[in-house]
Amino acid sequence: MQTVRSHAVHTSRTRLVGSRPALRRRRRSAGATYIILLALAVVFAGPFFWLLLAALKTRGEWVAVPTKILPAEPQWSNFTHAFTDINFPAYAMNSLFLATTYAVLITLSSAVVGFGFARLQAPGKRVMFLVLLSTMMLPQVLTILPTYVLFSRIGLVNTYWPWVLWGLAASPFLVFLFRQFFAAIPRELEDAAIIDGCGWGRIFVRIFLPLSRPVLVTAFLLSFTWNWGDYIAPALLLDADHTTLSVAITAWYQDPHGNPLPTVQAAAAALYVLPVMLIFLFAQRYFIRGVVGSGVKG
Amino acid sequence: MARHTWSRYPRRTFYLFVGPWVVGFLLLTAAPLLYAFGISLTNFDGSSPRWNWVGLRNYTELLGDQDAWAALVRTIVFTAIVVPLSVVGALGLAVLLNRRLKAVGLWRTVFYLPSVVPIVATAIMWKLILNRDAGILNAILSVTGLDRITWLVDPMAFYALILLCLWGVGGGMIIMLAALQGVPTELEEAARMDGAGPWRVFRHVTVPMISPVIYFQVITGVIATFQIIVQPLLLAETNSMVTLGQVPQGTHLYMVQVWEQFFLSNRFGYGSAMLWVLFLITLAFTLLLMRSSRSWVHYEVDSDADR
Repeated sequence: MQTVRSHAVHTSRTRLVGSRPALRRRRRSAGATYIILLALAVVFAGPFFWLLLAALKTRGEWVAVPTKILPAEPQWSNFTHAFTDINFPAYAMNSLFLATTYAVLITLSSAVVGFGFARLQAPGKRVMFLVLLSTMMLPQVLTILPTYVLFSRIGLVNTYWPWVLWGLAASPFLVFLFRQFFAAIPRELEDAAIIDGCGWGRIFVRIFLPLSRPVLVTAFLLSFTWNWGDYIAPALLLDADHTTLSVAITAWYQDPHGNPLPTVQAAAAALYVLPVMLIFLFAQRYFIRGVVGSGVKG
Repeated sequence: MARHTWSRYPRRTFYLFVGPWVVGFLLLTAAPLLYAFGISLTNFDGSSPRWNWVGLRNYTELLGDQDAWAALVRTIVFTAIVVPLSVVGALGLAVLLNRRLKAVGLWRTVFYLPSVVPIVATAIMWKLILNRDAGILNAILSVTGLDRITWLVDPMAFYALILLCLWGVGGGMIIMLAALQGVPTELEEAARMDGAGPWRVFRHVTVPMISPVIYFQVITGVIATFQIIVQPLLLAETNSMVTLGQVPQGTHLYMVQVWEQFFLSNRFGYGSAMLWVLFLITLAFTLLLMRSSRSWVHYEVDSDADR
């Protein structure tokens, strides 16, 4: 009866002014809360289950009227088809390579820039930081179309160089995350190193970078999942041989007549979200740290 | 070599450290934007080497373009529905979870997870749910005796897109939850002692305390919603780059219109002009909101964020 006890503790303050009916009302409202939460959870989690069920049905079961909730027998072959109908492993490797490269580069470059804004001084810093903050608002969609035109002129289309460049250029969002972290570290730490004759480069690599391990993990995981989920850049910049899973699974599962294969596509989509879900479930606190660190200071 | 006087902060060091971002910003953000402005003054079609300067003709044409105006109005209406719903939804969920609950981590995970699911997978999932014949939503409706609804075409596609956007409300919820936990309990306690009911405490103590976060959510929400493009493209019945022009009227938002100018009509110049108009609208809107924020956002005096 843990609920009762915890509610008793919780309501002890209110009981100073409240009375027994107030306590009962509270308990009833707790029950209502769980009912609301359960209903919402069904809506939020439902799509995952429906995807999985679709991935386990035969095509006949999928279109059957009235709708069948469960497949008579789980069709694991949909997953085999997802793997073999298109060159799934190759696209998965492309996605993995691209996301890893991008995430490693952008994590490190953002740490470097964030350190600069947090610990160093020079004329123009304030203005530059304001520009950085306002570009945080600028969505990628606005620049991706001219970027595509520009990159196709200088021969960067169908290569992975754009992601290397984007990675080296740091992300304003992650820079901000690193800046907040580095700015909170006491000054004495760098003083000692400066007296010992350390340069700023070594101070950063030897002292600040090791301290920032949780932020490094957060930045890596966030940028990895962004890139794994990105659709528009690979759709524009990469052809059918170079593209990523996100593009490959959207439209390429078809029978010989060109009809879509929803059950196979569902299986492919399940395989595609699996890494993101695993990363998220095991490292949720890093995600929360990242999202919260960016949003709280308006 | 003459030795310089020692300085704790040699200027060059700062510039070296922030250099990657500065160069990246100039080459990968500012340059494409300016390039788009250049293209918007031409009749470039994306492939042929022949093009001419047309001055501001693309912009004057845009002023009288019925389709572009319709798409803009649709985008504004869409934003005006989605942003308030998702901000209020995020706050509501956060308030629900900001209590002593059993398994609070589990609930949080369930609500938060959809917001990190890649957009492509989100679109596939919702197409499976909203499918006319095989979708679970219509199955539920038909059990209750209602007619099956074709969700992914007009007029329902608009609402289907709203639904898809609201599914990702958990990201905002996490931020709101952190904000709620930052509200000092003494303040709410004091208001309660003064006889304020739960609603009044929430309305007059909690909300003002977290108003900077709400404000941030509204701004980023509006900007993001204004530029939505991938969701409508992926939700359209046949979804590949080739079968453009099949996005239903209802989800034919401004960026979809831009996309079609580029890749359906091959009007790169005109499309770039549309992009610039969108950029200016976004800019103007952000400045406007920043001005108005002073009247309704409550900041605490202590601003250690600048240190």
